[in-house]
Order: sequence, then C-alpha cells, then structure tokens
Amino acid sequence: MFLNHFEYFAPKTPAETLELVARLGSKAKILAGGTDLMVVMKAKAISPDYLIDINGVEEFKGIFCEQGKGAVIGTNTKLAEIQFSEAIQAKYPALAYAAGEVGSSQVRHMASLGGNSCNASPAAETPTPLVAMDAKVVLSSISGERELPLEEFILGVRVLDLAEGEMLTKFVLPEPKLKSACRYAYMGRRDAMEIDCVNMAVNIELEDDGETVKNVKLVMGSVYPRPLVSKEVTALLLGQKLTDQLIEKAAEAAQGEAKPIDDIRASAEYRREIVKVLARRLLKEAYAAAKGV
Amino acid sequence: MKKLIELDINGRIYEVAIDARDLLIDVIRNKVGLTGSKKGCGDGDCGACTVLIDGKPELSCIKLAIASQGKKITTIEGLVKEGGQLHPIQQAYVDHGAVQCGFCTPGMILSSKALLDRNPNPTKHYIKHELSGNICRCTGYKRIIEAVEAAAKVWSKEGVQ
Repeated sequence: MFLNHFEYFAPKTPAETLELVARLGSKAKILAGGTDLMVVMKAKAISPDYLIDINGVEEFKGIFCEQGKGAVIGTNTKLAEIQFSEAIQAKYPALAYAAGEVGSSQVRHMASLGGNSCNASPAAETPTPLVAMDAKVVLSSISGERELPLEEFILGVRVLDLAEGEMLTKFVLPEPKLKSACRYAYMGRRDAMEIDCVNMAVNIELEDDGETVKNVKLVMGSVYPRPLVSKEVTALLLGQKLTDQLIEKAAEAAQGEAKPIDDIRASAEYRREIVKVLARRLLKEAYAAAKGV
Repeated sequence: MKKLIELDINGRIYEVAIDARDLLIDVIRNKVGLTGSKKGCGDGDCGACTVLIDGKPELSCIKLAIASQGKKITTIEGLVKEGGQLHPIQQAYVDHGAVQCGFCTPGMILSSKALLDRNPNPTKHYIKHELSGNICRCTGYKRIIEAVEAAAKVWSKEGVQ
C-alpha cells in the first residue's frame, strides 16, 4: 500500500522546526517515531501535505534528571530509552515500566514519549502514569512557549489543547515527594503489540508519620476518552490510614467513575471489573511502597 | 518527484532514486535488491521487516527511506561474516532448529542480536519480552528462545559484535 504524496522536511534546530510548524499549520504532521502516524497514513485515514521529521533535532531528545529537581524529558525521547534509563527506573519506576510495555521492542525504539501523548489515544500507556505524577508539558511556537499540566493537554480521543503553530517540545516531571510512591499496572490480552483494555497508575504521598495519606491520585486509562483522574478515591482516602476495607471501598468508587465502552478488545462490563481489580492491587502496592521509602 | 539519496546498508553505500513516500522495506528489497528482509503485515505489527538502525531494531515497513539517510542500516545479509561464515546467532538458530518456513527468521535474528547487544546475560523473561514484537506462525517460540539462550553463552564469552 502506498502513502499519499507529501513534501518532506528535516529541520535541524528547534527554531527551524517551529518556523515550519507555524508556516505549514494543520496541513503538516510532525514525524517523530511514526509508529502511529505511518499506520494511519497507510490506511489513508489522514493524508497530510507535509511531513516535518524532527529526528534530526538533538534538542528534542534526551532525559535530564537532576537530584532533587525532577526531570525534563524531550518530546522525541524514544520509549526504549526511557524504559532502560537507570535514572528514570530509580526515580519514576511507574513511567519506566509503562514505557517498557508499549508495543514491541521495535516500536519502543522508534516511538517517542511526545507521540504517545499527542496521538491522544484513550488506551495509551505513558500518559496514565505521567498524569498521576503531575507531569507538565511545554508547548512551543515561534512566539514563545507555555506550560500546562498533561491532564489539561489531552482533551479527548485525538483531541489536544494545541493551537495552530504550536508543538509539544518537552515534558517536565516534578521531583517525587518524600514518602511517596507511584505504581502502574495494565490488563490486556497479551503482552506485546496489544492495546490495553484498562491501564492505571496510583501515586500516594504519606504524612510524616509514614501511615496517613497526605495526597493520592488514581488515574485510569482506556475507560474514558482521556486519562481519567478519580475524584472520589482522593476524597475517600485523604487523611486516612489505609485498611483493606477502605481500599475495597476506594476501588469500588473508581469502578463507579469509569465510563468504559464495549469494543473488540473487551466489554464495558469486563473493563469495569478490571478497574476494581487494578485499583485494589495498585493502592495496596503503592501504599506499601510509600511506607517503605 | 524522485530524489537521489545515499543509504548506508551493511557498511556499503547505496545511491538510490526515491520518492519521499517510499518505505525503507520497499527500497531495501526492490531497489537495493537485498531480499532477506521480509514484508509481512506492512503495518508494523509482525516484525518480519525488522532491520537494525544504528544498532537498534526498527520496523522498516513503517519507516520512510528518506528518513534513514545518514544512519547505519543492518539487514540480515550484513550479519554473515566474510567467506559466508554464519554469525553465531544465525548458527544457534540452525543448531536449535529454530527455523521452519523462515519468513520470520531475519527479523527474529536481528531482534535477538539487538537484545543480546544490550544484555548479554538475558533471563528467559527478558528474551520473551524483547522478542515479543516478532511473530512466528509456523511452530512455537521454544526453540527460538533456546537458540537465543545458546547464543547468549557465546556472546558473554566472546563479546560478539
């Protein structure tokens, strides 16, 4: 199957890239890994007039992790690099794990972190833990840049808060709090090259006593048009010491908030069941890990 | 409009006239004439088209040829040593009967090489996880995994490149 004809650009600097993005607007698509873009172009779902290949721009790649200062990850950092990064594994294990579960080894060596968010698939792996960790995205254009939380950037299925002439250039991750832990889990039919029927991340921060919940964020993927942040779980668990009964109640609350659909991968009913299972498992795991810190 | 580009495949520079929309797999097979790499699903799902780009496994059926300029591309033909001697991992596949129809084998071997380059002492789980993007429809994966384990022994001993 052939792709449509397009004009190909390979800028070398961020300035050149942003100039192209501004000039070509919505007729252009940005090519990073291409693992989503090429597939939809082959299916003729989209036929852009221009492709802007950002793989020659060094500034868009790389993980900058400083002790006590969180991390900055360039938009075109490959998922395999995140999966195998010792710094990310130590500081953000949920992200390293989620990145390592995307597609296959080949896909992870091609696909970028930015692409996984910008594709705005409800079933994407990495936005879930990133939202749980309060990651921000930096959107750049020739007239400057703005920063906003990832959860406000992804608005729905293939819908982003991205103005014409803007592109995502990096992710900013806050330093994990003391006595906190973030964990990720997913459920799908097989491990590789499948699309999760549910994925989830839980981030728990404890008070100085090491038992009382100071902050908790439970994020669900694949059960809503965008990563769904549970309000009820936070309301239920804030200021509490977690018990099995409380965790059960929180898992049921998350189940009530999920709005999954029936599709080829799973029924809505099954997905709702899995939400409860993963919520229970992750709350326990993250709580135990936070206590151990 | 055709464009003349240079591709570095297996250490040799090939000058090819391509269109911006041409995929790397089609250029490697039809223009360069190296037919070891296979085109399976064409959607990046099956792994038959796997080639190494700067040593990393990538899917040449969803990769533009024009975007592969200036990179070192390795196909299955590039593994054979001078004089036709098989690469240790190829030899391990032969010794362990890990090849049946052979369609998935080039991609499977290149993915195996990439995973051993990263980790010469892999666990079975690691092998399965990193090979899971290569699908074999003939037989099973047992012998393939055994072959990779056997190759890993040679790897850690001799530091194969």
